[in-house]
Amino acid sequence: MDHLTQAITQIRARVWLVSLLIQVGLVGAGYWLYHHPALPLWQILSISGMAMVLSSALIGIVAGSLAKLPLAAMGQAILHIAPNEAGIKAPTFEDLRIGRQYVTSLAYQLYQIASLQDNKILSEHRREATQASTILNHLPLPVFVFNKQQLVTYASETALAYCGTDSTALFGKALYDVADMEFPSSRTLESWITECQKDKVTDSAYWRRVRIKLPGEDKAIRQCDMAAFYNRDNPKGVEFIITLFDRTQEYNQDDESLNFVALAVHELRTPLTVLRGYIEALEDELAGKADPELTEFMHRMKASSQQFSAFVNNILNVARIEQNQLEIKLSEEKWDEVIRSAGSDMEIRARPLGKEIIYDIAADLPTVAADRVTVYEVICNLLDNAIKYSANSKQITIKAAKTKDGLVETTVQDQGVGIPGSVLPSLFEKFHRNHRNRSQVSGTGLGLYLSKTIINAHGGDIWVKSKEGEGTVVGFTLKPYATLADELKSGNNSDELVRTAHGWIKNHSLYRR
Amino acid sequence: MDQPAAPNGKKVLIIEDEQFISDLYVRALTRAGYDVKLVIDGQQALEAAQTNQYDIILLDIMLPNLTGTEILRRLRDLKQTPQLKAKVIITTNLELDEQGRADMESHADGYIVKAEVTPKELVAFLDQLQFNS
Repeated sequence: MDHLTQAITQIRARVWLVSLLIQVGLVGAGYWLYHHPALPLWQILSISGMAMVLSSALIGIVAGSLAKLPLAAMGQAILHIAPNEAGIKAPTFEDLRIGRQYVTSLAYQLYQIASLQDNKILSEHRREATQASTILNHLPLPVFVFNKQQLVTYASETALAYCGTDSTALFGKALYDVADMEFPSSRTLESWITECQKDKVTDSAYWRRVRIKLPGEDKAIRQCDMAAFYNRDNPKGVEFIITLFDRTQEYNQDDESLNFVALAVHELRTPLTVLRGYIEALEDELAGKADPELTEFMHRMKASSQQFSAFVNNILNVARIEQNQLEIKLSEEKWDEVIRSAGSDMEIRARPLGKEIIYDIAADLPTVAADRVTVYEVICNLLDNAIKYSANSKQITIKAAKTKDGLVETTVQDQGVGIPGSVLPSLFEKFHRNHRNRSQVSGTGLGLYLSKTIINAHGGDIWVKSKEGEGTVVGFTLKPYATLADELKSGNNSDELVRTAHGWIKNHSLYRR
Repeated sequence: MDQPAAPNGKKVLIIEDEQFISDLYVRALTRAGYDVKLVIDGQQALEAAQTNQYDIILLDIMLPNLTGTEILRRLRDLKQTPQLKAKVIITTNLELDEQGRADMESHADGYIVKAEVTPKELVAFLDQLQFNS
């Protein structure tokens, strides 16, 4: 503050000196005028008035310019360190005549504060950066950061450990040089990035079951879920970030259990193929030659091989449902044709047992939206149950008609032993069987469970009515193709009617081309 | 008993290593008038198919030496095999996953689960095939 007092004294001294000089001048001028009375009094008065105005202006200018210099220097110093001003030079305090020390000391203080602020920002930034990388490095997930050119610019320690490499081998490399990735569909990371770079600002994506092969690991394939985040022209250069969720063990287990079922199914199907083939050949060879008893034996063998085949398919289908792979592909089907085709297959089973399938199909049935392969199995399973549980009654009726709600309802009715009311509610559960008849009737208890899953996946309902001693009716509904087509048209643009419940892989489509 | 049909001029290559099954197929197809050649080894099957003298190739998947999947891949690779005139029908009891099935469908002309098709039904299926020539 001493410098301020000093500067004020300097200014005051200079202004005082200038005023004194002017006043001395004015006194001199007055004296001169007084001794030359050639001028009238009013002129003398007006000259001295003008001189006083001029002197006041002069003092003002001097005082202003004296005060301006240190202010201008301070202003320049502030602008010099301001973050948004470029090209402003530091002031040169040596040129200052007045308040040099004061301004120099103020500017020094200013620079001190500014540099402290800089240091604070820098340290905060460093702390944030350290925090971010600490979090990333302690995250138990591999995280990779890529720039616009799709080169790795950062990888967390977990990521480096996961790849079994160090940063030098990873940073600056292109994505597909780091690891081979195989995506389950055509929507790959690459296609997603291309899409993002075309017309997205930010986006995120998730993939399941990405198979990853790392360099140097010829055989080990890892199975991961992958999440990615995209941010166009991020100022920090982070164009996209990828995280991996390693699910190798889980997915491999799934694959193995599926493989086990698939293997078992293959092993069962091979002898089945042979049995069915030779039964057919024998039937041809013996046609018209064998006695009725042998012919009956042939029919029983054929029916049994067909039952065997249905069982294998049921097992496989249950496995598919458990694996969340039930996928129903709906297309337009003529329902009476599907019923008669399934029914004629089941007649092979019914006939040796002396049972008859009766068709009662309404003439005005609309076409239905159905997945032929799976819905065919539903009819076979229901007819199979009716054959098994119809005891001494001979007739099984399959009926199809339009309901008042506009749905197509199909029922399979027998006049058999019926089902006790106590077990009706749990009838559609897996491995449920009519316990009372366990000793007399074979079966896995999978048929109704499968049928319900399949019908529900079609968007239909399945129900059962039964009375002990009077028989059972099982019915299910399907939607007419026309209503579903309208529904889908208004919903989305998919031209293929696909409805999924748990996903499905068709198990035995015969004529796929 | 069905009478053997007159030769229909179509040559079929059956690639099948299960003898009981191949016997059935050879018998049924021969009786239906097809000119049948059987191969049981994967490598030999590939070479036979590459001669491009067949109209139909029935291809099993589980085969000794070279799998049906690999055979199909090489048959569809124009660097290794000329454009085949044959329809390639996969005959298998394997359950493929969705991916495997999609691969097969994009490369094969047909797909049959053997346990679901009797020899006579197989003949009916092959009789339906449309040929360009």
